[in-house]
Amino acid sequence: MKSKPRKDGLAKIIGKCRFLDDYSLEDMLHGYLLYATIDKGKIKNISYPQDYDLKEFTIVQASDIPGENIVPEPVSDQPFMTKGEVLHYGQVIMGIAHPELKTLMSFISAIKIEYEEEMAITDVDTCLDDKAFQFGECMHISHKDGAKVDPEHLKHIEEVFYTQHQEQAYLEPQGMLAEYDQKNSKIKITGTMQCPFFVEEAVKVIMGNAVEKVIVETSEGIGGAFGGKEDFPNLLAGITALLAYKAHKPVKIKLERADDLLITTKRHPSRVAIVSYTDVQTGKIKAVNINYRLDAGAYQTLSPVVLHRGILHAGGGYNLPRCEISGFLQQSNTPPNGAFRGFGAPQAIFAIESHLDNIARAIGKSPLEMREINLLRKNDKMPSGQVVKEDHLHECMQRILEISDYANKHRQFEQYNKDHKDKKGIGLVMALHGGGYTGNGEKDLQSKVKMRLDKNANVQIFVANVEMGQGAHTTLAQMVNEEFNIPLEKVNVQIPNTGKTPNSGPTVASRTIYIVGSLLQKLAAKIKYELKCDDLAGYIQDHQELFPKDYELSFKPDPNDDFDDKTNQGTAYHDFSWAACVVEIDYDPLQYKAKVTKCWNVLDIGRVINHDIALGQVYGGVTQALGWALTENIYKKGYPRTRGFTDYTLPTTEDMPEMIVEFIHTDSAVAKGLGEIPMDYPAPAVRNALIQAAGVIINDLPLTPERIYQEINRSSL
Amino acid sequence: MKINFYLNGKETSIDTDPMRRLLDVLREDYKLTSVKESCGEGECGACTVLLNDIPVTSCLINIIQVDGGSVITAEGISETPLGKLIADCYQETNAVQCGFCFPGFLVTSYHYLANNPDLDEDKIKWALSGNICRCTGYRKIIDAVQLVCRKLADQELNHESI
Repeated sequence: MKSKPRKDGLAKIIGKCRFLDDYSLEDMLHGYLLYATIDKGKIKNISYPQDYDLKEFTIVQASDIPGENIVPEPVSDQPFMTKGEVLHYGQVIMGIAHPELKTLMSFISAIKIEYEEEMAITDVDTCLDDKAFQFGECMHISHKDGAKVDPEHLKHIEEVFYTQHQEQAYLEPQGMLAEYDQKNSKIKITGTMQCPFFVEEAVKVIMGNAVEKVIVETSEGIGGAFGGKEDFPNLLAGITALLAYKAHKPVKIKLERADDLLITTKRHPSRVAIVSYTDVQTGKIKAVNINYRLDAGAYQTLSPVVLHRGILHAGGGYNLPRCEISGFLQQSNTPPNGAFRGFGAPQAIFAIESHLDNIARAIGKSPLEMREINLLRKNDKMPSGQVVKEDHLHECMQRILEISDYANKHRQFEQYNKDHKDKKGIGLVMALHGGGYTGNGEKDLQSKVKMRLDKNANVQIFVANVEMGQGAHTTLAQMVNEEFNIPLEKVNVQIPNTGKTPNSGPTVASRTIYIVGSLLQKLAAKIKYELKCDDLAGYIQDHQELFPKDYELSFKPDPNDDFDDKTNQGTAYHDFSWAACVVEIDYDPLQYKAKVTKCWNVLDIGRVINHDIALGQVYGGVTQALGWALTENIYKKGYPRTRGFTDYTLPTTEDMPEMIVEFIHTDSAVAKGLGEIPMDYPAPAVRNALIQAAGVIINDLPLTPERIYQEINRSSL
Repeated sequence: MKINFYLNGKETSIDTDPMRRLLDVLREDYKLTSVKESCGEGECGACTVLLNDIPVTSCLINIIQVDGGSVITAEGISETPLGKLIADCYQETNAVQCGFCFPGFLVTSYHYLANNPDLDEDKIKWALSGNICRCTGYRKIIDAVQLVCRKLADQELNHESI
């Protein structure tokens, strides 16, 4: 658990690390996207401004695509560029390039598009029961572990929970640079992305037979991603590649913030309806029915995968002996929603954790009692039938109660609120997050990693997983070096490049350390065993003729892991990370404003490789979740739409609570997933604390002063 | 139009459109890539530089406004003893994640620490509240600034100059 300094730290601090916007090539054109500015309809006419020489511009549209006009995704249904039909604001119509950025931007803003507008849907409720607005089939989990219940003697509660869009708001906007090498029939892409092999596939699809080779490399620095650079880069890279191909010159597209906010993927808005039956005496939840819906936006793209993770996390950290969980994707006329840290789990955890507190109030139990009696313990079954193999969630709960003094504070605040004008509240939540791809995902991916030992005993690591801020390239090197034990500066992860690195899968799903890191560590141990040496540098010194040498290893799933994609029964995730959280809030009844003052976190993420980097993930994830809980929102209807950081309110230093973070079981053999779980739990904790502080039950986010005011005044009617 | 100013301590002159953003001039003409564009509307602080020793978001400054003045970027600051100390403390606390916002934080932290190296967390939070970071939750950035304060106090005790 050593906190080695980050390898990329200093270069980033002083601005020497190159981000995409710092790349420039001779003869390079600036590219940009022309997109639709209505929610739904048809393009009737496009007219270019008269006072520009069209010959100076390179323009590509759907009809210029030599390959297929379909972005490859788990469900490939989104065109790179529209042929005329507009299904969402931000639907790309053209790519345009010009040597001068200023000329390009003024040209684009002077293009006039006439539309025939149609009625648009921009929320999840409008077409709730209309199958025409549902994507695909319902996903279902049916779990019957306990005796059939008699509803007559149980407390029956039905509720609906809503969450809103959330923007990833990586500080570096998305960008791509494409180079076309006609002689070798090759396209090279450099850009901001989490998944170089997805981007390679997308460029191959759009280019078809027009080029023979596509190479994708990430920029040296990637300025944050959080899921936002998982799927949109496919579309962006495809269009940039096509522009470079047509212009025979390098083309760089860097989105401006407003466009990045308006047209790229966001967290799915959700509607989660829960019906539960609880024993009033004991507080035991006997049966529950969860209807989990996500607003996919205009196209499905990767939403079914988000939905899948969502329903598999819908039961939260609780033992629900009888439950039915169904998942639906709704179609709407907003840009397709995509990956964002948590990937369906934050919406699920928000609903179940909020519901637990609501049951507690309804039957006169404390939120803690509800959690104690219903907690998912060792050998309990999850809705997927998967048996819990450890009691670490319970340990997280025990520890959080100790360090936060939750039970006492909950009582004290009741009294405090009677005696004071300003109010206090405390909220307790539990969470779990499955590491790696869902179900058979990792089995199908078959990630492969490569290592090269050179004559000077440098260890070069080749993986497709990117350094986007999470510290992966430092942590992965540390994992390898746990075996080799040479100076850490001699162990380095190379910049992912699809021509050089094997496909170790995308940088998503909390899988980089858990799956790829474990694989690298196994490979390092294997090399050590094969060379029969403890002193790698000495061995290489004595056997110079054998090096440089490459070593590879592929992922092998646990043969006991079995998951049925149809029934959603079996091992949904080989390992779960567990967490417990308590937040304390101050509430100002004059301003209707909640401020989080303290946040305690206890997590089991297994072995901690780099304590500082792990802490950074928790601090950052919690902060994003607090933004989602309290301020962040996207205007969808009418104007002004959210188009900048002025109206998309991100947490600043002033919003930060005191943070207390502890990891348990840090000496475990396995380093489990960490990236996402801190995003999963803080929002319902804030919401539950607000019940105590403001005396209002709000089942949706964000908990803005306006929303609290509305609810308090509604309650008093 | 000809604009004369000091850039990172050196006198310079540029003939350009007076309404160009300082951000663009620094990035495009002077290749100072520590100055990052993120929001383009003065909200995030990624493009922060010192203009006449005051932190400003260079996306909101027209180049004509710096005529006769002094501009210091993260490149300049990282060459100073205090700038080096701040960078070292960021590194020591492992404060960096994606790093896109960090040159901006370096500039703002430098301004705070050069003028009033106070350990008080609320003062530090206030000083840094114009810089947005989406990765780190700010905790380790604040830790790093506090660490600089302590080191500066130690140095003062040891009569070292910085």
